[in-house]
Amino acid sequence: MPMLPLVTITLFLPLAGAVLILAMPRPTARRMHGIGIATAALTLAGAVAMWVRGVSDAGFAQLEELEWIPVIGAAYRVGVDGISLPLVLLSAVLFLLAFIFTSSLRERPRSYVVLALLLETAAIGTFTALDAILFYVFFEVSLVSMYFMIAGWGHEDRQGAALMFFLYTLLGSLPLLLAILGLYLGSPEPSFDMRAWIADPPLDGAAAMWALVAMLITFAVKIPAVPLHTWLPAAHVQAPTVGSVILAGIMLKFGTYGLVRFALQMTPDAFRDAGLVILALGVVSALYGAFAALAQTDLKRLVAYTSINHMGYVIVGVAVAALAVDPAVRAVALDGAVLQMVSHGLVTGALFFLVGMIQDRAHSREMGEFGGLLNTVPLLGWSFVLTAFASLGLPGLAHFPAEFQIFLATLWTVPAAAVVVLGIAVIAGTYVKAIRETFLGEARDRWQSMPDMSLREVLTAAPLLVLTVAIGVAPSWLLDIIHRTTSALALQ
Amino acid sequence: MTRDLALLLPEIAVLLTAVAALCAEMLRRSRIALTLAIAGLLVATGLSMPLVGMDTTVFGGSFRIDALSVWAKLILLPATVLSLLLARDDVRGTAREGTVYSLLCLATVGALVLAGAGDAMFLVLGTLLTGLATFALVAYPGTNPATEAAMKFFVFASVTTAVMIFGLTYWFGAAGSTLLTDMADVDAIPMAAVVGLVAVVVGLGYKASLVPFHFWTPDAYEGGPLSIAAYLSVVPKVGALFALAQVVRGLPVDSGWPAVIAGLAVLTMSYGYLAALVQDNVIRLLAYSSIAQSGYFLLGIVAVGSSRLALPSIILFAAAYTAMNLGAFAVAATTGRVLDAFRGLGRTRPLTGIAMVVFLLSLVGIPPLAGFVGKFLLFAAAIDARFTWLAVVAIANSVLSLAVYLRIVVPMYRPAEVSVAAPSAWPGVVALTAFAATLTIGLAAQFLLAGPMALAP
Repeated sequence: MPMLPLVTITLFLPLAGAVLILAMPRPTARRMHGIGIATAALTLAGAVAMWVRGVSDAGFAQLEELEWIPVIGAAYRVGVDGISLPLVLLSAVLFLLAFIFTSSLRERPRSYVVLALLLETAAIGTFTALDAILFYVFFEVSLVSMYFMIAGWGHEDRQGAALMFFLYTLLGSLPLLLAILGLYLGSPEPSFDMRAWIADPPLDGAAAMWALVAMLITFAVKIPAVPLHTWLPAAHVQAPTVGSVILAGIMLKFGTYGLVRFALQMTPDAFRDAGLVILALGVVSALYGAFAALAQTDLKRLVAYTSINHMGYVIVGVAVAALAVDPAVRAVALDGAVLQMVSHGLVTGALFFLVGMIQDRAHSREMGEFGGLLNTVPLLGWSFVLTAFASLGLPGLAHFPAEFQIFLATLWTVPAAAVVVLGIAVIAGTYVKAIRETFLGEARDRWQSMPDMSLREVLTAAPLLVLTVAIGVAPSWLLDIIHRTTSALALQ
Repeated sequence: MTRDLALLLPEIAVLLTAVAALCAEMLRRSRIALTLAIAGLLVATGLSMPLVGMDTTVFGGSFRIDALSVWAKLILLPATVLSLLLARDDVRGTAREGTVYSLLCLATVGALVLAGAGDAMFLVLGTLLTGLATFALVAYPGTNPATEAAMKFFVFASVTTAVMIFGLTYWFGAAGSTLLTDMADVDAIPMAAVVGLVAVVVGLGYKASLVPFHFWTPDAYEGGPLSIAAYLSVVPKVGALFALAQVVRGLPVDSGWPAVIAGLAVLTMSYGYLAALVQDNVIRLLAYSSIAQSGYFLLGIVAVGSSRLALPSIILFAAAYTAMNLGAFAVAATTGRVLDAFRGLGRTRPLTGIAMVVFLLSLVGIPPLAGFVGKFLLFAAAIDARFTWLAVVAIANSVLSLAVYLRIVVPMYRPAEVSVAAPSAWPGVVALTAFAATLTIGLAAQFLLAGPMALAP
């Protein structure tokens, strides 16, 4: 009996949900949100089933292929390995929670749910695609959906922010197209099969370096790395809460995932040659993000800048993996980098949800206007405190095992770069300041009647907090899968 | 002789259709003229189907039955049908309605002649045939702007066509033959080769609205009926660009012509989008956008002879461009000619809004729409022909184009101030067909590619 095509089913379930909603004559808002949640739940079930099937020790597992444009060697190819599978699971979890959180939305719910479902297919597709054209298609579709989400449901100055986001990331993603074309024309037989490009990198010398530069531009915009990060705070401030959660939790991972999958695996020699430059980029990003976060008074901007910091650690991890001579060290660095992506998705997703809850109540995100919220809304307050501690890398919470492995590998390989640890201290200061101004101190009268978390909000935040603790305390369930792939990477 | 005529059946069918439509008009039966024209064009499309995959010539090599000319029929004949439907809305009830349908068919014959040209004389014939028919079409409303636009168009066309004929005499003089396949020998006499190439670029460049021969384009589009603008932006343009590909196929790659075409491509793309960026009139904006899109075609033409992707990329992009551009014009036909008319379109008529967004994003080249597949192959062809810098310029222009098209998209989702008039039926049908084609070409490029790709050298 042929195996059920789980990856394809999981990938296209959200799209099917979107089509279903579009086909209904006059659905009520309740029903549409219901379909959204049900579809996302089924998708999560599919992702869990993929997790149960697991990955193989060499290369990709759960492969599914179908001819698409055979004359030029493009095909529908999907599959997962230890790097992409955790990200698929992360996407499925975050999208389900996003649908739960947003189920009270009554402003044009139909377009909203359809766009979000489209975005989910695009996200899972980006992580599972094994054909360069297919990857690019999903990569860009996500961009268009996110543009409309920010432009349609964002805050005051959303049009400008959405436009900046779109122009910036489109400008950023076109160099990737050039790199893909270069890899295609350089490969011995015309094919867009990413597995072939990874197994036998088609370019070398100057051509590989140019391709790497093009890819770095694309992924640096997406990650975002300093100095190509300026779109991020603007987009986050204007985006609706769910938009921010998906943008930070999932779409930033497109950049770091691409950095590993394309830049590191397809041009490994060029990446090694440029390793120190990329490492420096990561260190600067991490430190800049930390200091910029310290200067913010707007809670959402603050969280946005800490994302730049956390993504900087991922760049450091990947660069160290390229520079490391010992395969064991390389595996540690990549383990840390991939785990950091997952942890950041969960923790930052939770933070954006919580900030969104505060904004829904107070219509403000300025830290100075709050105070003593821990007494008024204890559940919300303690959730925020726990998540903030996770974000600053407290042991026992999700970021610690990830950042620890990255720093360890950095110390072994390029000790000077360990200066990046400084970022942790700055981020700690940032969050302590935010917690003190917002949640501690004298409770203000105007917030006395603020309601605590509703059931819908608890359902949104609780799974993320549980997962954050679970990864912090026992990361091995995740690391085992990641390690099976990272320990077998050849990178020659 | 019989074989040659049999291979030309589609062209003959279109010609007869034009005559039949004219006869119906003489009997004052404009509805029948329209029906005859549509039926005739569909029959001609059907007659072209068996030709797919052929690579031969007729009448002593003067007309080519190859991938370019066959796919030109399969793309341009349905495009003419859609233009007829759009035109119906523009000219219904006017005095000589049927002549419009007849002239549209005649102009299409000209475009098909251009696309299959294997002889310099056919270049002249095709240019004149499309030209004469379209001057009259632009002038048809008889209003001052229309007459002025047609006059500009006419003067511009006369001069450029005269230059082309003059330059072609050099090629004829040097080669002793008008067959395009003999032009490779002209290289021995550099002066004649250069003059001839310049002549062809001028003559076909005006027809394809390449910068700097584009000046007539925005005025003619804006002055004439909207449906004629839609037609002009697709059928004669694709015919002329295919003709250019036919010409350069015979030229040696190392004689320097690719550099000339590449230069034109950069000029055309960049100028087209920069000018489009400052337009407030949607028709002028689309006119400049269609100028810029011609520049993208040149990426494929540059690679003719040096990349096997060149011809498939040109053909596929032609199909994609036809669908998305006609679609955008059809939506404009139901909405209005100024940007303000698009305000709130996406909220009051959501389906039309989605269709327009799809057309415009496809024009930018966003996957998985038709424009992406086309541009992707064009870029690949240019890089394959060692014109990586040209692909980089084209990509930079794609970003610029996003800014251009978002000028239409952004107001569509702002709150509406005025209610929009109920759309008429035919432009809706055209938009729907173009919408389906834009999605299908993007997702199922395989079926279109298998044909032209099989013939690639």
